[in-house]
Amino acid sequence: MAVTGERHDPAFPVGAACRIDSRSPWRAIAEIPVGLDPEGIAVDNLRRRAFVACSRSDFVSVVDLETHEVITEIATGSEPIDIGLDEETGRVFSADAHSDQVTIIDSATLEVETALPVGGYPSGLTHVPEFRRLYIGNSLGSTMTVIDLDTLETVATVDAEPGAGAIGVDPTRRLAVCVNFVAASANFYDADSFEEVGRLELGVGTCAIGIVPERGEAFIVNSIAGTVSRVDLDAIEVVEEIRTGQAPVGLTVAPAHDRIYVTNRGAGSLSVLGVADGVEWSQIPVGHGPGGVVVDPHDGRILVANAGSQTMSIVEDLLAARPPAPVFEQPSTFIGGKLPAFALEDYRTGERKTNHDWAEKKYILNFFASW
Amino acid sequence: MLVDIWEGTEPRPEVERFCEMWGIKGPILLDPGAELAGALGVRGVPTNVVVDSDGTIRAFGAARLDELEQAIDDLYGR
Repeated sequence: MAVTGERHDPAFPVGAACRIDSRSPWRAIAEIPVGLDPEGIAVDNLRRRAFVACSRSDFVSVVDLETHEVITEIATGSEPIDIGLDEETGRVFSADAHSDQVTIIDSATLEVETALPVGGYPSGLTHVPEFRRLYIGNSLGSTMTVIDLDTLETVATVDAEPGAGAIGVDPTRRLAVCVNFVAASANFYDADSFEEVGRLELGVGTCAIGIVPERGEAFIVNSIAGTVSRVDLDAIEVVEEIRTGQAPVGLTVAPAHDRIYVTNRGAGSLSVLGVADGVEWSQIPVGHGPGGVVVDPHDGRILVANAGSQTMSIVEDLLAARPPAPVFEQPSTFIGGKLPAFALEDYRTGERKTNHDWAEKKYILNFFASW
Repeated sequence: MLVDIWEGTEPRPEVERFCEMWGIKGPILLDPGAELAGALGVRGVPTNVVVDSDGTIRAFGAARLDELEQAIDDLYGR
C-alpha cells in the first residue's frame, strides 16, 4: 500500500466542498459483492444504478448505488468484459469477449434487447454520445468495430492490431485511438473517415486510455511496463512516461480533468495521477486485483471492479489539489521476516507441497490469476 | 514457482488454459482460498515474493520486470 506524507500545511485544502478532518486523502464507502471476475462498470445516473460486467459469471450485476445492493443479474453472452451506457437511448452495451458480440440491455426494463456480432474477442468499448457512435476493440480480430448508437447498424470495421481493446475518442480533434495490448501500440484514426492518420509504439501491455481534449493529450496505461504514457494528440508522440502502482490496468479521467484514476491490479489500489504535473498524488486502497474504473457523475465517487475479490469498491478521493508530499510506497512488513509455512496442492502432480520442499533453496513465489 | 489464486471457480481448467496460452512449464501451486496470499497480505496480481535459502523474504511485489531483475540480483549478491 502507498500513502501520502505528512500534511500539516494549513494551506493544503482537503475535500471537495469542505475541509474533512481526516489524515487519509480518501474514504472507503462500500465494497459490494458482485459476480465472478468483474472487469467493467457503467453508471446509470438517472436511476442511480451501476452495471458491472462479470466476465466469469456471464452476466451483468446491477447495483443500486443508494442501497449498495445487487438488485438483479442480467445474462449476457460469454465473458462480458467491458460495458458502457448511452443515456440518450438508455441502452447498456456489454462487450462479450468469448461470444464475439455486444449485448444490448434496456436500462429501464433491465432486459436484453438484442445482441450484435462484432469482431473476434471484443475486449473494450467506448461510447461517444457526441458522435452517436459505439467503438469496440476486437482483440483476436485485430479490428475496431464502429456501431451507430441509434440504428445499431455497423458503420465500419477498421483494421487495428493484435490485442485491440481500449478505445479513446477526442471529439475536438475528431480522433479515435485504438490501443493494442499484444502489439503494444496505438492506432490513430480520423473519426469520420476511419482513415488511419498515425501510429505509436507504446509500453508493454497497453490496455486502457483516457483523453483530455482541452490539453490535446491522451493517457495510455502500459500494464506490464507499469507506466502511463502521456501522448500529445497533435504530434502523435509520447511526451512523458508516468510511473504508477504495480501492474496498472484501468484508467478513467476525473470529471474536472485535473487528475486521472488508474487501477493497479498488482497492488490492489487506485492511483491518483495529476494531469498537469504527471505526479502520483495518492494511492487509494480498493479490493483485490482491481481493473475497470469509472466516476459516478452524481457524486464524484469512484467505482472500481475488483476481479480478485469479486466486488465493486466505492471510494471517495478527498484531495482538492496536489498534496505537498508525493506518494511513497510502503514496503511489505514481511520483508526480512520468514515466509509463513504453507502446504498447497501441486497443480501438475496433485501432491501437497510445503515450504520444506524448497528448504535451503532460493526461489520466487509468483502469485497469479488466469484472468 | 507460480501460485494460482482468486480464480473464483474451479482453478484447474483455468490454470490449464493459462499455461497453454503462455507456454508455462514450471511448478504451479493452487491456493484457491488464497490462504498463503492472505497470510502475506497479497492484494493483487502479479505479486512476486522473493525467498532466500533460509526462508527469509527478501522482496515483495516486484511486478515490473526491472524490479524483479533487481530483486534477483540482490538475492544473489550481484
